[in-house]
Amino acid sequence: MVTWTGLEHFRVGRFNPPPPAIEADDFVYDLRPRWPRGEERGKSPAIEESFHSRRTFMETWRLPLSSSIRGKLISAGYTSLSSISSVSSTDLARETDVKITESEAFEILKMANQVTGSSSCNGRSSSLVNGARNAWDMLHEEEALPRITTSCSDLDKILGGGISCRDVTEIGGVPGIGKTQIGIQLSVNVQIPREFGGLGGKAIYIDTEGSFMVERALQIAEACVEDMEEYTGYMHKHFKASQVQMKPRDILENIFYFRVCSYTEQIALVNHLDKFISENKDVKVVIVDSITFHFRQDFDDLAQRTRVLSEMALKFMKLAKKFSLAVVLLNQVTTKYTEGSFQLALALGDSWSHSCTNRVILYWNGDERYAYIDKSPSLPSASASYTVTGRGLRNSSSSSKRVKMM
Amino acid sequence: MKPRSLLSQSPTTSLKLTTGCETLDACLHGGFPCDSLTEIVAESGCGKTQLCLQLSLCAQLPISNGGLDGSALYLHSEFPFPFRRLHQLSRLFHLSNPSIYADHNDNPCDHVFIQNVHNVDHLFDVMSKIESFVKNSKTRLPLKLIVLDSVAALFRSEFENTPSDLRKRASCFFKISGKLKQLANKFGLAVVITNQVTDFVESSDGLSGLRIGNLRCLYSSGRRVVPALGLAWANCVNSRVFISRSDDSICQERREDDERSGSSYVSRRARRRFDIVFSPYLPASSCEFVITGEGICGRDAEKMDSTFLESGMVVREHQIDTRSLDKSKTLRLRLEKSVESSLGHRLNKTVNFGSLSYHTYANF
Repeated sequence: MVTWTGLEHFRVGRFNPPPPAIEADDFVYDLRPRWPRGEERGKSPAIEESFHSRRTFMETWRLPLSSSIRGKLISAGYTSLSSISSVSSTDLARETDVKITESEAFEILKMANQVTGSSSCNGRSSSLVNGARNAWDMLHEEEALPRITTSCSDLDKILGGGISCRDVTEIGGVPGIGKTQIGIQLSVNVQIPREFGGLGGKAIYIDTEGSFMVERALQIAEACVEDMEEYTGYMHKHFKASQVQMKPRDILENIFYFRVCSYTEQIALVNHLDKFISENKDVKVVIVDSITFHFRQDFDDLAQRTRVLSEMALKFMKLAKKFSLAVVLLNQVTTKYTEGSFQLALALGDSWSHSCTNRVILYWNGDERYAYIDKSPSLPSASASYTVTGRGLRNSSSSSKRVKMM
Repeated sequence: MKPRSLLSQSPTTSLKLTTGCETLDACLHGGFPCDSLTEIVAESGCGKTQLCLQLSLCAQLPISNGGLDGSALYLHSEFPFPFRRLHQLSRLFHLSNPSIYADHNDNPCDHVFIQNVHNVDHLFDVMSKIESFVKNSKTRLPLKLIVLDSVAALFRSEFENTPSDLRKRASCFFKISGKLKQLANKFGLAVVITNQVTDFVESSDGLSGLRIGNLRCLYSSGRRVVPALGLAWANCVNSRVFISRSDDSICQERREDDERSGSSYVSRRARRRFDIVFSPYLPASSCEFVITGEGICGRDAEKMDSTFLESGMVVREHQIDTRSLDKSKTLRLRLEKSVESSLGHRLNKTVNFGSLSYHTYANF
């Protein structure tokens, strides 16, 4: 029955828009007047509000539960997930007018927590947005993070101490500038024990090009052990207890070496890395030698390539954040036609350049190799020179070197 | 997926293919590595085909002697293939290593498989058949070396200079390189690719003069050159070596020991140089070598180079080479002939020779 006043309201436009056409098949429209519970306790149970809350995403009927449980929930008045989040399972089960058993209640809460992602279901103060931390905590965390030295103090200086963990660093340069050397050096340096200022972790080396030579890694490992022994000699003069326990062969054993021969293998390996690192918790660096090699052939559809690459980049970022490790991606250089001339740019295009946190470009300046911080959220632009010696990466000893701050 | 244990290979050095010459092997720390693509960049006439032929024969040496105990596949794209030179080298190789072939009564040429490639599509075709060739071949020695003589010749005719063609060309490079690396990884092959040079033309963007590797500029025959195929191809190979020749030649005047013949002559030979441009494990180094009838031999600064005789024996000279054009200086030579018989012991004899004409072998 429609009243006259109802019609007047309708003509003027004072009405609620109709509910959405698409709804779940087993959605129960409960129009019995009820007081809503949970956080909505204390608010006026206006019909408009309950209509409105039905349209939001955080709704109970979206939970993947059986329909009977769902029906019970909604009939008890829990229409939105926010109302469930602040209630405990015993409270739910105590609803005498609706028969929700304890186990059902527990299941409901587990599902709700999974959906909202909150890790704890106790207390009314748990925030709805999961994972939010304040910046102060983050600053302390970042300062406490160890960094992986590159064995070249100038390079470490411009990198702010070394390659930072929890970040994806991209290093690119022309062939022969030393990208593989940096990769091998980092995979050895990550294993420096904590007593010597290192991370004491293991390394994953993903080789797509076949540039990794075991004898070179052995050479660098031997030099690293020799340096550590020299360090103990200087620093711990009265303290001979801490002898260098590592041998070069142990260092090689702690490098997990994967060789991939096609882009499908590369993607499969990246997907598998999560599981692998969960099993080997002390991996602290993942180095991909030439992330671009397999992506520069056979991709007629560049949009697909961009999609695949961004997915891969996302996985690396998640790995870095989740396991608190450093990801180092080595990239090649190509020529790009911009503004009427050809210029050098890192391969894989502009969209890839957003995928890494830090970007270091290696280039030749005269007879010296230089590294330049191209993109970084926290480091200033600077360049420094380095050399590649038989013992690995070292400071360049020329008199004309300087760390140029821009 | 399991990681490959790095210590699984013992000793912890990858297998290397010797070049047949000690000086070059010293530069390369043993030779050309397996499971890796090595590129030889040289002007035409510098000796890359010689080196490749020598490598295909050295691949048949046993592993203890630095070889790979395998056969070689030679893909050539330039005409003509130097069959005569291969036969000559193979004859000498057989003489110096009879033990490998004694039991099976074959000769080194039987283990070098030659395939002609006309263009890029043909190359892809051939590469797809290599895998089945390796698996099903009934040859005595397994395939262990692939030589691609002149990858640049494949790309010379088909691609224009437009950006889209250049992109297609670059994608072909990566495809070729990816496929060869996959084969190298699967079967443990050494892959050697030769490349040509083009003249350096100063362009406005300065990209053709881009420095790649240890040498700031590459010089050959007195002019500045740049490896062909550009930056894209440079990203596809693991190591690059550069062979060059210089205009000044080695002049030696010789006078025979024997006064009866009393002939003297001047030999001219171009100086050839071998440089490491970039490599994942080698320091920058270079050495000089010469091409003789027997093949490529290194040349130390103090020792004289070897000369070669028709009879196929290596002659070593012991005196200091003054390398001067001063005709008044005469060199006394003592020629020693060392012959290794099949029993392996050396017979040292001093022999006097008549006129030596070896410089015909230097120009291939």
